[in-house]
Amino acid sequence: MKHPYFRLALLVLAAIVAVALLFTTVDRPLPEVWEGFVRGTTGTPIAWTGTLRETTPLLLLGAGVFIALRAGLFNIGIEGQFIVGAACSTWVALNVPGPPGTEPVRMLLAMLAGGVSGALWALPAAWIKAYRNGHEVISTIMLNSIAIALTDFLVAGPLKDPKGASPSTARLSEAMRLPFAFSQGNLQVSSGLLLGIALAVAMYLWLRFRVAGYELRLTGENPTAARAAGVSVARVTMAAMVASGAIGGAAGAIHVLAFEGRFYQGFSPGYGFDALGVALLAAGNSLLLIPAGFLFGFLTKGGASLQVFGVPKGITTIMLGLIILVAAAIRYRRESNDA
Amino acid sequence: MNAASPAVEMRGITKRYGAFTALESVDLVVERGTIHAVVGENGAGKTTLMKALFGSIRPDEGTIAVEGEARTFRSSKEALAAGLGMVSQHYAIIPELSNLQNLMLGAEAGPLISQKAAETRANAIMHTMGFAFDWAKPSGGLSPGDAQKLEILKLLWRNARIMILDEPTAMLSPADSDMLFSSLRRLVDGGATVILVTHRVAEVLDHARSVTVLRAGKGMGTFPTAELTPSSLAELIIGESPPRFTADPPTPGPVRLSAQGLSTKGERGNFACRNVTFHLAAGEVVGVAGVDGNGQRELFEMLMGTRRTESGQLSLDGEKITNASPRARLAAGLACVPEDRHAEAVVEGWNLSDNAILSRQRFDPISQKGTLQSGPIAEWTKRVISAFDVRNPGVKSAIGSLSGGNQQRFVVGRVLGSDPKVILAFQPTRGLDLKATGRIYERIRQQCRAGNTGLVVSFDLEELIQHCDRILVMRDGELLDPGTMDRAVIGRLMVGGA
Repeated sequence: MKHPYFRLALLVLAAIVAVALLFTTVDRPLPEVWEGFVRGTTGTPIAWTGTLRETTPLLLLGAGVFIALRAGLFNIGIEGQFIVGAACSTWVALNVPGPPGTEPVRMLLAMLAGGVSGALWALPAAWIKAYRNGHEVISTIMLNSIAIALTDFLVAGPLKDPKGASPSTARLSEAMRLPFAFSQGNLQVSSGLLLGIALAVAMYLWLRFRVAGYELRLTGENPTAARAAGVSVARVTMAAMVASGAIGGAAGAIHVLAFEGRFYQGFSPGYGFDALGVALLAAGNSLLLIPAGFLFGFLTKGGASLQVFGVPKGITTIMLGLIILVAAAIRYRRESNDA
Repeated sequence: MNAASPAVEMRGITKRYGAFTALESVDLVVERGTIHAVVGENGAGKTTLMKALFGSIRPDEGTIAVEGEARTFRSSKEALAAGLGMVSQHYAIIPELSNLQNLMLGAEAGPLISQKAAETRANAIMHTMGFAFDWAKPSGGLSPGDAQKLEILKLLWRNARIMILDEPTAMLSPADSDMLFSSLRRLVDGGATVILVTHRVAEVLDHARSVTVLRAGKGMGTFPTAELTPSSLAELIIGESPPRFTADPPTPGPVRLSAQGLSTKGERGNFACRNVTFHLAAGEVVGVAGVDGNGQRELFEMLMGTRRTESGQLSLDGEKITNASPRARLAAGLACVPEDRHAEAVVEGWNLSDNAILSRQRFDPISQKGTLQSGPIAEWTKRVISAFDVRNPGVKSAIGSLSGGNQQRFVVGRVLGSDPKVILAFQPTRGLDLKATGRIYERIRQQCRAGNTGLVVSFDLEELIQHCDRILVMRDGELLDPGTMDRAVIGRLMVGGA
């Protein structure tokens, strides 16, 4: 048996080879396309800014999926929690009044609203799983549909900017935007990205050194043994699912405050679903969320920059899908062998 | 086919698993049109023998003939085609399907089902047995007794002439059992043959014409039941009493764990433990004897708090803990070697040190203020490993890479290492050799003699008699006190022979 990450490294390598193969489908000389891909993702400060911008929600949401996954839960509802968190935090950021200078407090309040609403959105699925043993995948998919339809309605009606034509909220003022962690010329790194990295590191330490983290991992690995070892499996399930939802909601708030500055119909291009791949790719180690999130951000941005060469954007989406499939196959292989 | 030949004739069946001989030159001859019982303790080889007949295992030596023809079945489907069917202990009935659908499942007349034709045939079969089923109703509502009957009808639907029933009354009430046997008698009167696998002496004597006794993989012979009494049959099943060698009799101390009228429900909502009362005194090790599946597992789960106590009271040192959570019980000083190590006691993919702190994770010095303490954990892991010489490639290797015996020693070492007030051990020596078994019981006795107390479940009566101070018997969810260490008396109590 090779080191468990050996397969994942192979997988990433395969992804890069797949990108290279994509270039051959284009009617332009290969070196030119390759150069375009590199330039579009990491070649210029602007490209880096874009790649890291894509990485931020993917990393944060990946962390949200990851914590649930460690407790044995597949929170496919992170997409809905992200959207609900974004919508609620936008409303708070726009409507909680305050004199100039209180913006940091109000931004914190908006992030809190995002986290709490995301947690509440995960709560029904958590409860159904913990006390009725209803499968979280089914319930969270349903909650995703409700989240999308509900926010579509809100942003076309009550939350709509009366001055605007499209179904969107008003824009936040410049003072209500998260400050950059680093900004020089065209290279800008959001503090949201740092939050994501900090979250991945904190999660690693918590799972490894805290009793509660140990019990969460235990519940995910073997709930029967957890019960025998004095762990309340229902309570851990509730906590993990709600925490996952809170991270999803807070990620939505960060996306609004750091990048979008408003909430609108079609807010998420499917970050929540790509985040499942990020979490699966990280396997059992939350530190690996960081490279996995970056890989997904890199490919997403690269796909966009290849469009000028006539490569449809959907092709990188297909590739991300393939990575998710293979990562899932690797992850669940052992479990099915046991059965 | 020869009309005079026996329904089943197995000769010299031998089956070995490595150095272990599960069956040694066993003969089984079953006459047509009779109920023939196969009896023995757990591990005596009943199931292995039936599997050999049915083709799900291949015996190393011996011949099998069904209705006079030499046979080796490669699957249960082949066996069924030859008229041989089996109802296992765990019914294969799908609750969401209707009774008729369950009846036909896998043996439909063709790709298209004619509801009317199927129902006509189902009714015909049902009437010959004197049963009454509403075919349209879903099977989920069937009582265990009716489910058993449906299983028998399933075999008849498949034209089985020889039926093996494995512990058919395990789930049934006495009234349902009587009904079952009267329908079985109707079956054999119609020319069918029934092989009854059981451990219940009364059942054998009341309903079977002849009985084959297995003990430790050897055939003890076949006898007409008319020539047997309950005690002579129990003697045949259990054998001679071995010597005990408890060197140091306990000095009885105060009662530590006290159970008063405990009852709990099993997976099917039936009462798996009924009105269980016992008192464990400081200093003593008490064995729970009994055939597997008589409520031992549910009793232990109830004691550890992972199964709901329906009624009764449990107290430790006078403190009521009837409704305490598993965590509170661990904190109060209960510790348990669970029955299913793989599912309940270890995480196979985790390393030894992560597994060593399982169930101790909340307690000082393993953790302090919610943080795991690496120094004490390393020390504790070393202690768990050295308690019973767990051979291992290092504390960072996965426990799943250890042999089963080493894993078992690891788990027992972990439980005893916490110096619990009450040691609950379910088959603590499962898969271990005699030397390791002796050491584990010695250590359990030592810790109990120091003022603690222990309750040990084992399906090996021999082992309990050798190592425990007194023995209780679990049968049909009730805990009985034989009031003696006499092997014959305990054995009879286990199998229900008066």
